Amino acid sequence: MKLPLFVILAVALCGRALSAHAQAMFRGNPAHTGVYSGPAPRQFHRVKWKFPTGNRIVASPVIEGRTIFFGSDDGNVYAVDSETGRQMWKTKTRGPVSATPAIANGTLYVGSNDGNFYALNLETGALKWKFATGGERRFEAKGLHGWQPKNQTIADPFDIFLSSPVVVDGAVYFGSGDGHVYCLDANTGHLNWKFKTGDVVHASPAFADNTIFVGSWDSYFYAIDAKSGKEKWRFHGGEDALIHNQVGFQSSPAIMDGVVYTGCRDAQLYALDAASGKEKWRFDNQLSWVITSPAVLDGKVYFATSDSALYHVAEAATGKSLVKEDGRAYMFSSPAVVDDTVFIGVFNGTLVARDAATGKVLWEFQTDASKENKGWVLTAERRFNGPLLFFDNWKEGPLIAQDRQISVGSVFSSPLVANGTVYFGSTDGFLYAID
Amino acid sequence: MSKIQLVSRPNRSFLGFTIAAVISFALHIAGAATEATEAASELQGRWSGTIQIPGHELVLVVDLAREANWSGSATLPGLNVKGAPLTDIKIEGADLYFGIQAMTGPSVEPPKIKARLSNKKLVGDFLQGGNSARFALEKIGPPQVEEMPRSTPVAKEFEGEWNGGYELLGYPRKVTLKLQNHDSKPASADFVIVGRKFNNLPVDRITQQGKFITIECSAFGITYEGQLENGEIHGTVFQGPIEVALVLRRPK
Repeated sequence: MKLPLFVILAVALCGRALSAHAQAMFRGNPAHTGVYSGPAPRQFHRVKWKFPTGNRIVASPVIEGRTIFFGSDDGNVYAVDSETGRQMWKTKTRGPVSATPAIANGTLYVGSNDGNFYALNLETGALKWKFATGGERRFEAKGLHGWQPKNQTIADPFDIFLSSPVVVDGAVYFGSGDGHVYCLDANTGHLNWKFKTGDVVHASPAFADNTIFVGSWDSYFYAIDAKSGKEKWRFHGGEDALIHNQVGFQSSPAIMDGVVYTGCRDAQLYALDAASGKEKWRFDNQLSWVITSPAVLDGKVYFATSDSALYHVAEAATGKSLVKEDGRAYMFSSPAVVDDTVFIGVFNGTLVARDAATGKVLWEFQTDASKENKGWVLTAERRFNGPLLFFDNWKEGPLIAQDRQISVGSVFSSPLVANGTVYFGSTDGFLYAID
Repeated sequence: MSKIQLVSRPNRSFLGFTIAAVISFALHIAGAATEATEAASELQGRWSGTIQIPGHELVLVVDLAREANWSGSATLPGLNVKGAPLTDIKIEGADLYFGIQAMTGPSVEPPKIKARLSNKKLVGDFLQGGNSARFALEKIGPPQVEEMPRSTPVAKEFEGEWNGGYELLGYPRKVTLKLQNHDSKPASADFVIVGRKFNNLPVDRITQQGKFITIECSAFGITYEGQLENGEIHGTVFQGPIEVALVLRRPK
């Protein structure tokens, strides 16, 4: 039986719209599951192209149609042809764009370190509206991480990302360094509501069941009614009054089947009941931060740790460890799952493809800066060379050390997989397309 | 070289051959010994130069001295390494090998040096973290080897068992310290910290100066500094950048 043309077209367009929608924001969808549709390269073939920007790229690219959109710490938002790597447009903000854009209804939404939130025309990059938050700032504390002077307030150099927006039903939601979660009218930029937390909100809110889920650096994880902005529940993570190292939600949550999965700087990966906030289980990472936003697929949770440099797969229902692999260096990049392959960026300047079932490395791509390894930031095994980095605990020493750590082309960006190509940014200033 | 020359003269008698070989060997040994003595004499001193790490030239100062045995220390300005002891010093003719007891970290072994005396310069390879870089040092003066502080005996009031506890990053720790004197020799210590794991810390150094006592465990990067006050030791545990108060008391 022949189907009418309009039915075929409608199905095709609907499929395309869903596919495009599925990849047009951080972690691929409003629930932030980090799951992308295939195919994905199981083998490394080539760098298809690499696109230079003026500074490091820490946020993640998104795709709409055949155009890649992303922000750079050079202050620009870029639109680049996904096939050729040719620049379509760029729009300047007045601060590093360390957030991943979200796209809806012909508009790109993204925040900048200049304290403004932007809505840009997707075709041209022209400004539609901008909204001034209370201003950006990094998480800070006296004697942070045990650094000296102890009574000096130190901004955290590992507070890398800005909150990435989620757009649902004509509203755009994002967190801010001013401690608020904002809900704006996506068309006009007018404030619908703002929700106050106790500290910086640089995690990215996820949406499910008319609820916004997001953690704050104040040690609480919040569920907020998406319409009213009223708190539904809050969950208390760990505290660290001593050196403020083991506190704060920097990881962004993923929601699946009524469960919220989120990492925390208190070294736990939490599974919380989405309706009540009650803890279902926790996965203890022995003082090692979980900055990565977990990916969830087929009853498995994929995440990684910082200092212990471990790549994990856990059972979503129980938190039982299924896979534990050495990742060599800190991982802040969130894993992207495509069928049987997982892609994750590593702080040491590599992008790693792993088998989803076993966690074994399928292939690795290493940036030139990582290969060059100036100043022996890395050991020969590509682990961080501590003695040549964090030898000075005073004044700007640790900040300089962190700056040197990212000199190897660190991959903080969470990989975007589309049409058999992996796209990601690096602190070497390039956006890479690998197939 | 000499062996080839001897073998190339088949008309010599066996005795002549043996004598020649012995003399040659003795001369060789004597020559080598002289060379070694000369090299040893030349190796003593303060050496300074740079290590050619890509994108980061590193200054290295090495002090080498010989009394009964070889001893030495190394300084790496800018890396917070001053007077770190040299380990496993080995000299073979003009070749020199040693380690530097510093710059350790997770998965990172202390650096090793392979060097050769050549034209009054000490040239070689600096091996660290699986990386290798060339260096060249010049003698700039006599050696000033730094002596590491050594353990001392402890006063009677410190001897015996002490208990205490502290909380670190949300987890409680129980501490047991047992100090023991050995006549006039340095004291020894059992230093156990029980958190989620049982840690029997290998103590490198115990030093007491008046009311103050310091227990150092470099393998775990833990130091306890305390002061005796009214039969208790009031002090601080230092672990990396973390400082936590710890009071030790006699067991009840």
